[in-house]
Amino acid sequence: MGTATGIIRALNSGIKHIATKRFTLRYPEEKLKFVGDGYQFDPSTGVGIAGLKGRHMLFHDHCTGCQLCSIACEGVAEAIAMVKVPEEQKQNKKSIMPQIDYGKCVFCGLCVDACPFYALYMTNDYELSSFSKEGLIYTPAQLQVKPYVAQDSEIQISDRGATHG
Amino acid sequence: MTFTLPPGLALQKVDERIMTLNVGPQHPGSGHMRIIVQIDGDYIVACDPDPGYVHRGEEKMAEYRNYITNIPHLERPVIHDSCNVLYPYVLGAEELLGIEVPERAKYVRVIASELNRCIYIMYWLAIYGIFLGHSTMFMWPAGDRELLIDLMEKMTGARVTHAHFVPGGVRNDLPPNFEDVCLRQVNYFEKRIKEYAAVFYDNPILISRTKDTGILSRQDAIRYGTTGSVLRASGVDYDLRVKEPYDVYDELDVHTNVMKEGDSYARSRVPWLDMMESCNIIRQALQKMPKSGSVRVKLKPNPKTKGLESVYKRVESGRGSLGCYIVSDAKPEPYRVKMSVPSFRNLIALPNLLKGEKLGNMPSVYWSLNYWPVEADR
Repeated sequence: MGTATGIIRALNSGIKHIATKRFTLRYPEEKLKFVGDGYQFDPSTGVGIAGLKGRHMLFHDHCTGCQLCSIACEGVAEAIAMVKVPEEQKQNKKSIMPQIDYGKCVFCGLCVDACPFYALYMTNDYELSSFSKEGLIYTPAQLQVKPYVAQDSEIQISDRGATHG
Repeated sequence: MTFTLPPGLALQKVDERIMTLNVGPQHPGSGHMRIIVQIDGDYIVACDPDPGYVHRGEEKMAEYRNYITNIPHLERPVIHDSCNVLYPYVLGAEELLGIEVPERAKYVRVIASELNRCIYIMYWLAIYGIFLGHSTMFMWPAGDRELLIDLMEKMTGARVTHAHFVPGGVRNDLPPNFEDVCLRQVNYFEKRIKEYAAVFYDNPILISRTKDTGILSRQDAIRYGTTGSVLRASGVDYDLRVKEPYDVYDELDVHTNVMKEGDSYARSRVPWLDMMESCNIIRQALQKMPKSGSVRVKLKPNPKTKGLESVYKRVESGRGSLGCYIVSDAKPEPYRVKMSVPSFRNLIALPNLLKGEKLGNMPSVYWSLNYWPVEADR
């Protein structure tokens, strides 16, 4: 193949893409769709349930304050601290619950694997930016709130190429 | 009329003509490492790679954490190839702890590993493109990589650092309907990477810049101990997936891509052929995978090994053979973890390849070695 033919072929290959659809995602307006409600773990079988590893969610009525999540985080990120909460839950005798510092968390989900009481799950919420370091520390009360995550875009494959539709 | 240079510009002695040039460690074309090159005019006389700027002490850190807690930090050296970089450690830990992995988990691991290999090679190819000034080849792989990252996100829940492999299987089962989505996106991905031939690999400009530069002969490639695509581009048919099959690679039909030239062009083309082979392997694995079953063996918290034992396991990562040597002494933490990384072995060939080359060829030769600075320093 000659040099001229090669360059023409290369240009032609690029020109075809004028007619194809745009692949990129317009992020703040469009958001990606995920499977499920986030990464969860079933301690009875010892296998997780697929989902995005995002911000955690804590179920106060299940948490016993056993600190296993905090121990699992030791040596990984040291992001979980057990803090005092008002005495409301009967099963939580010590009245301590995890508080997570998202400035340190690496979203590996080993704390979810460690929880034997179905109390700590992960959610699809990944937009955690804050103006201060303190804003990244989520207290047990903040972790209780189920986030609303807009999900509208998924990769679509057609004859004219792949798009985020 | 005779023209004489002013005194100081006319350098006659050889020692005075040679200039030392530091490429890196802050140079965008070197990564987190320094290449000290001595140049005579435009030609490289000698070259001394100087890695070690991103040493993190991963091996020492592994001695203070138990077998599970080691996982998130051991995948950090190569975050976009995180399943493969963790693979030998997990295989070794399984042998030490005496765990039999379920059949389905082995297939899930193969799929994750092959997807990760493609993700790594696409990233590498994007940087190779921009090193050679080919902006299209930066944008296309970076965009098409998204197809596979999307699959990994569905599968593991994270886009880059997955922490998916654990001693005893994988963390979670595949999401429902994953097989169809995976097959569709992998087929489209394969169609896309075939388009790269016209725009990049058959492009006369790329060929003129990379052909016959930095030739690594077959004997030298074996003598230096290079691995992976560098070794296969020099005509050695060596792939650990075929030679020492781990998990279920012995049940899959794996074809090794070999090129005889040993120049930069061959070293850039072999990973691209490997990606197509990975697509084949993923399709086979999806077909042969058991449709249901467990994917993880339940372990006791803080699993311990029996006594003073050691194990060496290696896998074929995106860069070459990646080994992990683990010594245990009946404690929850390993006594010693040693990673034998392909990047560092491939770097050994660099001074030999660059001698006598033009300085302009340095990026194409350097990045074709499939070198990742952080992994070499670990």
